[in-house]
Amino acid sequence: MDLEWSAADLAFRDEVHAFLDERLTPDLRRAGRLMTSVYADHEASMRWQAILHERGWAAPAWPVEYGGCDWTVTQHYLFSRESILAGAPPLSPMGISMVAHVLIEFGTPEQKEFFLPRILTGEVFFCQGYSEPEAGSDLAALSMSAVEDGDDLVCTGSKIWTTHATEANWMFCLVRTSRAAKKQQGITFLLIDMSSPGIEVRPLVMTSGEQIQNQEFFDHVRVPKANVVGEIDDGWTVAKYLLEFERGGSAAAPKLQVMADQVARAAAGQPGPDGGPLLESPAFAAKLADARIRIDVLEVLEFRVLSAAAGGKNPGTASSMLKILGTELSQTLTELLLEAAGPRGRAYQPHATRPGGPLAGFAPPADGYVSGEEWQAVAPLRYFNDRAGTIYAGSNEIQRNILAKAALGL
Amino acid sequence: MDFSLTAEQQLLRDSLADWLADRYDLARSREAAASETGWQPEVWRSFADDLGILGATLPEEVGGSGGGPVEAMVIAEQLGRALVVEPYVDTVVLGGGVLRRLPGTGDPLEGIVAGSVRIAPALLEPTSGHTAHSVAATARRDGGDWVLTGAKTVVPGVPQATHLLLTARTSGEQRDLDGISLFLLPVDLPGLQVHRYRTIDDRHAADLVLDDVRLPAAALLGEEGRGWTALSPALDEALAALAAEAVGCLRRVLADTVAYSKERRQFGQPIGSFQALQHRMVDMHLEVEQSVAAMYLATLRLGAEPAERARATSAAKVTISRAARFVGQNAVQLHGGMGMTQELAIGHYFKRLTAIEYELGPADHHRARYAALTPTTG
Repeated sequence: MDLEWSAADLAFRDEVHAFLDERLTPDLRRAGRLMTSVYADHEASMRWQAILHERGWAAPAWPVEYGGCDWTVTQHYLFSRESILAGAPPLSPMGISMVAHVLIEFGTPEQKEFFLPRILTGEVFFCQGYSEPEAGSDLAALSMSAVEDGDDLVCTGSKIWTTHATEANWMFCLVRTSRAAKKQQGITFLLIDMSSPGIEVRPLVMTSGEQIQNQEFFDHVRVPKANVVGEIDDGWTVAKYLLEFERGGSAAAPKLQVMADQVARAAAGQPGPDGGPLLESPAFAAKLADARIRIDVLEVLEFRVLSAAAGGKNPGTASSMLKILGTELSQTLTELLLEAAGPRGRAYQPHATRPGGPLAGFAPPADGYVSGEEWQAVAPLRYFNDRAGTIYAGSNEIQRNILAKAALGL
Repeated sequence: MDFSLTAEQQLLRDSLADWLADRYDLARSREAAASETGWQPEVWRSFADDLGILGATLPEEVGGSGGGPVEAMVIAEQLGRALVVEPYVDTVVLGGGVLRRLPGTGDPLEGIVAGSVRIAPALLEPTSGHTAHSVAATARRDGGDWVLTGAKTVVPGVPQATHLLLTARTSGEQRDLDGISLFLLPVDLPGLQVHRYRTIDDRHAADLVLDDVRLPAAALLGEEGRGWTALSPALDEALAALAAEAVGCLRRVLADTVAYSKERRQFGQPIGSFQALQHRMVDMHLEVEQSVAAMYLATLRLGAEPAERARATSAAKVTISRAARFVGQNAVQLHGGMGMTQELAIGHYFKRLTAIEYELGPADHHRARYAALTPTTG
């Protein structure tokens, strides 16, 4: 038993590191550093995806035959970790990390052939249509209807909390094809071309002023049955499979370490209550140390899950545990960054950041003036946006319900 | 011991609450807040003329009604409840609190009562953190004038303000309490560089650069180097009023969250029927009730000797900062995705509560001040 990487792992890490050093431009690093949420600036993220694709690293987790990498689980972790440490803007997870795995598992040969290469190049950019106004935590209560009519399904209803719906040209979604005794039955997993007639996208303005989330209205939208993934009425099986990819399998600890280092650098340059550096004030230092301790421990928890996965074991309820711990730690760090920002944390200056979407009703100052430093402009927006971490992908209350049942047998 | 309001105070509360309910529309006020002017001047006009709240706590000699901390508490709570962005606490409680002690020239207090003078406190600096007595900006005499040099940051209430209440050092080191002088100057003074921006809580603020800005001798309030003796009690009064504003916000946020949890149905039942969420809302309720008690503690100790007054207002700020964070965050959580948007009131209240957490010093700052003022025993 040990916590060390093997010599081969270290050599791989150095290879990734050298690649990032060479190809990650200052502007891309900036886009990563000045992110205000988990979503990078769309254009920067797509530019980085193209560079990764050139190297064959855009979708390393895919099977090799579709363009993935023949890496060990540890190598995947190291790649993800090095990318985060280098400040690379993350790629949108919807296509590469989510729907692609569904297509690989359940898709028809035609679906695989059409979508997978285009997801890699970015020609196809997916958004996710799961939640509805009346079906959030209770996802299986979804009601957007899809009625069979010849070779088509005719869809009517609404989806909400759709990240980057205005940028996306395809949506994968869950629709109701029949009403059965059990609400998980009668759901179908469907791919919808966003240019189909009858779709209206309405951006939602978040507290940060950003428009990344959207609501869509579908009015008799015709979708070919050929776009059904899996069987009609059996979409819940597909959705459950996909949820595992949404919740688990990522490395949260490296991202949290980067955030903690950023908080430390920020607090070193700001005055604390006694006039000395905030970083040296006992109250702040204790809070940051506590966060770092929790990150150290989370990293080992992630390693344990990783080791089990390397041995072929399903992460099971560990993904719920990692989701809770990772998102709540992230929120703690955004609180500390906002504390470190001092009085300037109150200034609303999105023009000094790289948000993941357009801003509603904001005009930057003509002279580009920024009060304080860029990280102080990032701090409040990241704090507001990060509140979503404990809400999305199954709220932390839902994750605790899952753990109560599955981990404790309650 | 008596926590009841007098008949006049109840009337003040009810008439203000009614007016705000009828006339202060959340959506319209947010539109005004996002505009260049940043506020609704007609609202301020009504505060002065119809409601009389701008003079409610100021002396009768200047046209006020001679009320005190309890009147300020009653007013600030109602303004907080309606999420009013117009700068009552900064102008009347902090600005008025200083000018009551150091009147200055040109009858600014009369102007505050009439609504024509609005004060933006220019206290914090790029290197002050949240410490108001950390003053590096300097003022020096030059003939009959004062010449000011330095920078101020996140000065709230620009562009609504007509005047700046500005600290500058005339002697001593950056964090000394002695040697701070207070100046009252028009906000459009020639030579003053002003960088305006919006704040996260639907308000406006500015950074100021003073590069040898010249002021007449009369701009000095009170004695040279003795500004802290008036600013310190006025800041404590502002802390008490801010606690009341916070209570107004908190009560509304809790009420909205409880109402939402009864309406929002998931898994075939209102989410408010789930015990995990019930306990969370009870914890929010406990934070709100402690904030109410802290508001009374701060308000009713404003007349005490300085150390006791400061301990009470710091205790209140620690309590409301903790409540602002816990209640604000959990209100968002319980509203789910909707809590993350500007579609509902809750998002706007959360932003104001976040600003309140830090305004006039965050919890750690006031814990340190409380500890320093508390004698150790044993």
